[in-house]
Amino acid sequence: MRLEELQRLIYRLVVAPNGVGEGLTLEESLPDGGLEAVIIGDDRLSAEQRLDIYANAYFYRLLDVFKEDFPATLAVLGETDFHNLITGYLVEYPPAEPSVAHAGQHLADFIRQHPLQKRATFLADLATLERALIESFCASDMDPLDATAMHTIGPEEWPSLQMRLHPASQLLELDHTIEPLMRSVERGESWSYPPRKAETILVWRRDTQVFYRTVETLERDALLLTQTRASFASICALIAESCDKADPTVVINQLLSRWIADEIFVRSAA
Amino acid sequence: MNRFGLPDLGVGVGLRRPHYSHVITERPSVGWFEVIAENFIVDGGRPLQVLEQIRANYPVVLHGVSLSIGSTDPLNRQHLKNLARLAQRFEPAWVSDHLCWTGVGGHNLHDLLPLPYTDEAVFHVAGRIRQVQEALERPLLIENVSSYLTYADSAMTEWDFLSAIAEEANCGILLDINNIFVSAFNHRFSPTEYIESVPLDRVVQFHLAGHSDYGFYLLDTHDHPIRPEVWELYEYAVRRFGRVSTLIERDDNIPEFPELMIEANEAQRRAQDAASGQHALATS
Repeated sequence: MRLEELQRLIYRLVVAPNGVGEGLTLEESLPDGGLEAVIIGDDRLSAEQRLDIYANAYFYRLLDVFKEDFPATLAVLGETDFHNLITGYLVEYPPAEPSVAHAGQHLADFIRQHPLQKRATFLADLATLERALIESFCASDMDPLDATAMHTIGPEEWPSLQMRLHPASQLLELDHTIEPLMRSVERGESWSYPPRKAETILVWRRDTQVFYRTVETLERDALLLTQTRASFASICALIAESCDKADPTVVINQLLSRWIADEIFVRSAA
Repeated sequence: MNRFGLPDLGVGVGLRRPHYSHVITERPSVGWFEVIAENFIVDGGRPLQVLEQIRANYPVVLHGVSLSIGSTDPLNRQHLKNLARLAQRFEPAWVSDHLCWTGVGGHNLHDLLPLPYTDEAVFHVAGRIRQVQEALERPLLIENVSSYLTYADSAMTEWDFLSAIAEEANCGILLDINNIFVSAFNHRFSPTEYIESVPLDRVVQFHLAGHSDYGFYLLDTHDHPIRPEVWELYEYAVRRFGRVSTLIERDDNIPEFPELMIEANEAQRRAQDAASGQHALATS
């Protein structure tokens, strides 16, 4: 058997979702003599049992990675449902990247189409947040717009200043109030189903640590505006228009101080 | 001494996430660190910052798990480019990966699958190693993997296969002593015959790790301390190859760093004793 043919056969059998045994029954390109003509079995282990070692290693290694990357989704679903979810996911989205860190990049999309999503409608939101935390952890390094950088900006530059989110910052638009659930799971406390209510979560990285928090409508709108290359003056104008009874100067100061302290922005090139 | 002039770094430890802070703050007395290259092929953030700090104080070796050097898929040029960039930035003592395939058809199994020991595979893999070495502008070390199956098409022993590829590609060898022990049990061959048959001047590094015993087979789990039989085989290897950079690997059930240092010190002591035995034998 040529090397390529052999590898494709072994691959199909290793990833067969219900095990090598069932994979063999569906396999159409086995040579005469079956699997034993490809892999040598002996008195200790048959050819199928030997290939099973690889099939188990494939699935359980990835399952462990997903458990580490999506601990809250695991806590909500429990071991059995999570196991079955990942089994289905790997059929739909078999890993293709050299790093295992990319393996879960489509999990939230997969959950959106999964029957479990009907049972727990917040599941895709939860996986979206967990994935964003991982992406933020390894996102590109760029000098943030921090207090030191702000001091270098002259007064005449402020109105036209353009800021955009740091590569490690993400604004997530979710359909459920996920944050309390995440916090409960992180503390190992019992959690309750989150209500269906639109929520915006900001994920960011300061130094090397990743954080997240819910943002209110006013802050959300201001953050979204920064993504359109709007000037600082336009952002201030938006905040001033949207402030109900509060003093706009105070609100702008509060938001800007927090953004700068959290290092969520970089300065856009003019 | 190996033919590449690569140094004996002494005994090192595989760098794992739970030990980052300890290594940075305590600066333990260890010869070097081996890092999994794919964990550091990232855009930014903590992994690269950690590696900067560790590289400032220790020699580092890049150990890959996803080159898939034996796959019949085209080489992943983007991954190779990323690996070369990482090597350029951190100047590792050398770069290694496994003699295996990890996927086909554009998919990745994230596991190390053995190749059939055939001439076709020798020439296929050797050609790809040459391309990798050209891209990295340095010799690549290939590591023997633990295996649980033998292909009916195999026409030579594993050690002849490894040696033939190393000669054909002109690359180095990372000899995993635990993998030899595990595969020797699983396929009923002599581990010492393996060690005796590998070309002396191509072995640049040893790996030492623990495995699990499932009765009918041994599994390379890297989640236990090194077993006494593997220590004995290590001494045997040192008597043949002399002092070679040695790495303690632990990937699961990871203990506190000082526990790994006990194994590193044990490797140091055994290597010293075995090497002086080799020297005494040579001069008597």
